[in-house]
Amino acid sequence: MREIHAGGKPLKKAYVAIFLWFTGRAIQAAAKVDKEVQKEFAALPDDFTFALGCLPNGPWMVVGKEKGKVKYFGGNLKCRPVHLRLVIKSLDAAFLILSFQESTALATTRNRLMTDGEVPYALSVIRILDIVEVYLLPKLIASLAVKRYPSWWSFSRKLAGRVGVYTRTLLGF
Amino acid sequence: MILPDYYEFCCRVKIVAGHDALEKIPALLAEMGSKKPLIITDKGVAAAGLVDIVVNALKEGVTIGGVADNVPPDSDLKVVNQLAGLYRDNACDAIIAVGGGSVMDTAKGVNIVVSENATDLMAFSGAGALNRRLKTLVAVPTTAGTGSEVTLVAVIKDHEKHLKMAFTSYFLLPSVSILDSRMTMTMPPFITAMTGMDALSHAVEGYYCLQKNPLSDAHSLAAVNMIHQYLPSVTKNPADKDGRLAMAVSACLAGISFSNSMVGIVHNLGHATGSVCGVPHGICMAILLPYGLEYNMHKRGETIAELLLPMAGEEVYRKTPKAERAEKVVSLIRQMNQDLNEITGGRHARYFSEVKDRDGKQMVPREILPEIAKAALLDGATIYNPEDQDYEENLLVLEAAWEGKPLDRNKIKKG
Repeated sequence: MREIHAGGKPLKKAYVAIFLWFTGRAIQAAAKVDKEVQKEFAALPDDFTFALGCLPNGPWMVVGKEKGKVKYFGGNLKCRPVHLRLVIKSLDAAFLILSFQESTALATTRNRLMTDGEVPYALSVIRILDIVEVYLLPKLIASLAVKRYPSWWSFSRKLAGRVGVYTRTLLGF
Repeated sequence: MILPDYYEFCCRVKIVAGHDALEKIPALLAEMGSKKPLIITDKGVAAAGLVDIVVNALKEGVTIGGVADNVPPDSDLKVVNQLAGLYRDNACDAIIAVGGGSVMDTAKGVNIVVSENATDLMAFSGAGALNRRLKTLVAVPTTAGTGSEVTLVAVIKDHEKHLKMAFTSYFLLPSVSILDSRMTMTMPPFITAMTGMDALSHAVEGYYCLQKNPLSDAHSLAAVNMIHQYLPSVTKNPADKDGRLAMAVSACLAGISFSNSMVGIVHNLGHATGSVCGVPHGICMAILLPYGLEYNMHKRGETIAELLLPMAGEEVYRKTPKAERAEKVVSLIRQMNQDLNEITGGRHARYFSEVKDRDGKQMVPREILPEIAKAALLDGATIYNPEDQDYEENLLVLEAAWEGKPLDRNKIKKG
């Protein structure tokens, strides 16, 4: 008889890790570029930090405020105290969400995404993630990722935002 | 019917319903190996003579460890700890909660403390902190609305630290819920009306929100059918025993539905209105329900239309053109509010501008609507609403609900 160990799926894990790394940097970028993201972060406590990742062993993305600036802190959950964890129950579920086969709202209704922390904080973070996804993804894919694609945004907001977020994400500032 | 690819459903509460269901409690306690229950209630329920009815039904079959009637209108951590002490001092081994939402929440809090032998209730807040069965908890609801006799949540307030702690676990579900017509018989008509509309809001929101599934749907449809049939008549004739029992069962059905399918914009804006202005929850639900349907109509029109059959019956359903059925559901709910307003001599408010406190002062001044719209952004029910909401749209709905005008659906942003 052989034991079957949990884990494996290195390709999925790599995809999720890269996506979280990129999204973490994109949130840091969007906080400099988009007024709505700035407003959401401004309403959160000064040292507010949140993590998004999956059970049982990650990967994770840690983002927070430090000295008035929003920063991506990498993937180490222990790097600083975390106020809110958005926990995806498994790597498979994380892959479904992060490959846009399932929106954040749908993942929540299917009990794949849990909130560990205050609900108002979680709602703020979800609004921020939605805005970042709209900047990062083409409309067709972003429409699958968010509950409602913001068609009412002006062309200039979308264009300037995309250029700003992508440039800052890739260059890391 | 929407068939989701994946869903979860759980209701492991034994439900005993009848005109003499209370008399079954001693046998139920014996089945669960419990001999000495502590009764937890509030002063209003005790003053209405409801605890006496429960005690009389129990006393020949079981020793009652004590009756604590000091649960405040808002649950309170201090009271939870004090009642846990009483439970231990009197060597009780079960809890009977007789009352509404606050009593149920308090009883669930006491149950955590005594079952886990805890000193700090806070250590068990959030989801998933409990991982074993708690002591026997018998829920006896005294209103037909909240559905808290079948829900897995408890909210306890720490008034000293100004904290509101939420506890979520399947282990918080009561062991048994007793639905007895005698427990709601003395409810005044305007409370019957608003609690009944609360139950309707659970059934309807449970039917169109994102976590709906065929199992929660079945409970919603049965609840909608019974509430539409019995709520106006029982408000008119409070002594209608069968109607009272039907409403108790409806609220329970609606509670099972929404605790599995969750709720959306109606509860989102209702919670915010309650916290900013102190308007009773049932009133908020009654006023906001038609607007919630209108707000989601472009995404859930077909689903909402399905509610016409259980509400109005086969003949009306057949005669109403398919494209008009969803609108008809909205107009029937508005008509229910109108009928309840007339039956209660105007006490059942139809719009927010009509809501008055005991001194006749308006509870929701128009200028406070922006504050409510902002507060709603912090409430989790928005997650489960089919359409997204933002500040401007919250305000749009609140203004329409304040004036009592149908919602201008052209102003809802479309993706």
